[in-house]
Amino acid sequence: MNDRQCSPPPLEGLGRAADQGWGEGENTPSSEPRHRRSPLWLFRSASLRFAFVYALLLATSAAALAIFLWWATAGLLDRQTDAAIHADAQGLSERWAEGGLPALVLTIDDRLAGNVDDDAIYLLADPIMRRIAGNLERWPSTVRRTDVWYELPVRRAGITTLARMQRYDLPNGFHLLIGRDVQVRARLRTLLTDALLWAAVIVGAMATAGALLVRSMFRRTLANVSATAAAIAAGDFAQRVKLSGRGDEFDQLAETINDMLDRIVRLMDGVRQVSNAIAHDLRTPITRARTRLEDAALHAHSPEELQAAIERATADLDGIVAVFQALLRIAEIEAGSRRSAFARFDLAPLLADVAELYGAVAEDKQVGLAVDSPDRLPAYGDRDLVQQAVANLVDNAVKFSPPGGQVRLRAAAIQGGVEIVVADQGAGIPAGDRARAIERFFRGEAARSTPGAGLGLALVQAVAQLHLGSLRLEDAGPGLRAVLTLPAREDGPGG
Amino acid sequence: MKTHARFHAVLAVPLSIGLGLAAMRSPAAGQSTPDRVTTDTPQYCMQLLDRVSELVRIRVHPPSEVTDLSTEGQRMCDQGQTRGGIMRLRRALILLRQGAAR
Repeated sequence: MNDRQCSPPPLEGLGRAADQGWGEGENTPSSEPRHRRSPLWLFRSASLRFAFVYALLLATSAAALAIFLWWATAGLLDRQTDAAIHADAQGLSERWAEGGLPALVLTIDDRLAGNVDDDAIYLLADPIMRRIAGNLERWPSTVRRTDVWYELPVRRAGITTLARMQRYDLPNGFHLLIGRDVQVRARLRTLLTDALLWAAVIVGAMATAGALLVRSMFRRTLANVSATAAAIAAGDFAQRVKLSGRGDEFDQLAETINDMLDRIVRLMDGVRQVSNAIAHDLRTPITRARTRLEDAALHAHSPEELQAAIERATADLDGIVAVFQALLRIAEIEAGSRRSAFARFDLAPLLADVAELYGAVAEDKQVGLAVDSPDRLPAYGDRDLVQQAVANLVDNAVKFSPPGGQVRLRAAAIQGGVEIVVADQGAGIPAGDRARAIERFFRGEAARSTPGAGLGLALVQAVAQLHLGSLRLEDAGPGLRAVLTLPAREDGPGG
Repeated sequence: MKTHARFHAVLAVPLSIGLGLAAMRSPAAGQSTPDRVTTDTPQYCMQLLDRVSELVRIRVHPPSEVTDLSTEGQRMCDQGQTRGGIMRLRRALILLRQGAAR
């Protein structure tokens, strides 16, 4: 056991690893430089990035809301004031066009006299800026341009207020200044600004606190996953990612990871079991062949005896080769490389062929073989593999049937597929062994005395899985009933 | 130690935002001396009163609301409540104009 297995990393270290990416070789010496905190480590931290994005989104949303509020309140009042001044200017311009200077002076006096709101400001000046009419005592020195809105303080009844005004130049060098008192609006703007300032402070505090919370949650979640991954890497396959129980996306991720780990463990167990089974099941025929050859070499008295021993040893070795071929066949099927051979085919003649093939064998064993199938039974898949799977099921049924027994091969269309049932009247498989009967090299107690390597049902199961179908083993009372279901959809496997 | 750093971070960010915005809204320097509005003086009040009185004379039967507003406006201007007086005289003037328009 090396250091990597002896010293699982502390949680804080895992959290840092989480900040820097998913399980960046926390324990491996080669990844050591990644854990040195360079000045740029903050930018590589995923949790800080999430926190920053959260804070940025919150601040952006708040800013957008503030802008809309401003536009809908203070901005609206500004726009109304500007529209009123423009309308005023339009009217006065028409009066100038109709009656010249005297008409304009009269109109200004009339408008001031009728200004109940007491907010209007007019000033008509001559070319040298002397006052002719209006209610402003003199032309403001800062008002020089006609394309600019001015907001200037004015004194009204001894009180300084704010006025928004614009300059208009008239023919013959006359000038007109039109404005509105906007003190109330300015007060509202100040109130709104103060409120928005406080809102900005509150949003800032909430964004910072929320960002820290998001970062903390992110780090906690990743630390959990990272700790499990590190434990698995260290050889502890019993570790699983802890669920919070909230059923959220993190829990779903944890469940997916745990399912993945369960499947990996199952696969590793399967590999281990198959390795053991190969070693155990092949040792006997190999030893037997070796003993026969050795015995023949030492004790054979004639070339005929030697030849016979060699032939028996060759037969033993052929059996071993057949086992390996079956294993390779199952591996090929499980790899899914044969899906390209999927096509529509008629299952009825296939079943008839299998029945004919095993009819003679069944007859030798005094076992009846009955086929019950419609004239046409459309199916979809790899015809050869399906035929081999059915042949394996029938072979097993005939093999384990007692003399005088009956094997029934029945097929029918069911909802969304076809069902092939092979039932015998043999000893069957105990309920506790049925789940394991489809594993490679599994041989039940009843099968110890019959020839075979325990790969037949494993191949049928592989064929069923390749077709996205299923294989069920049931009690036929007496005997075993194997039910192979294949989906008939062309858009299913390989479609 | 770490908790303190977080607490400071929580404080620093909103405070800096607040101070920045407060600096932005401070009033601009260099505003010019305010110019005076001339329609809130006792003289203007008298001008308005003259206009109202002239229109009242022209009308045969001015509405009582007009005479009331005119009287009240004059009284308020005399008592130094110039803006209130001007407002009432303006209302009286508008009523007279509306009557003439009908």
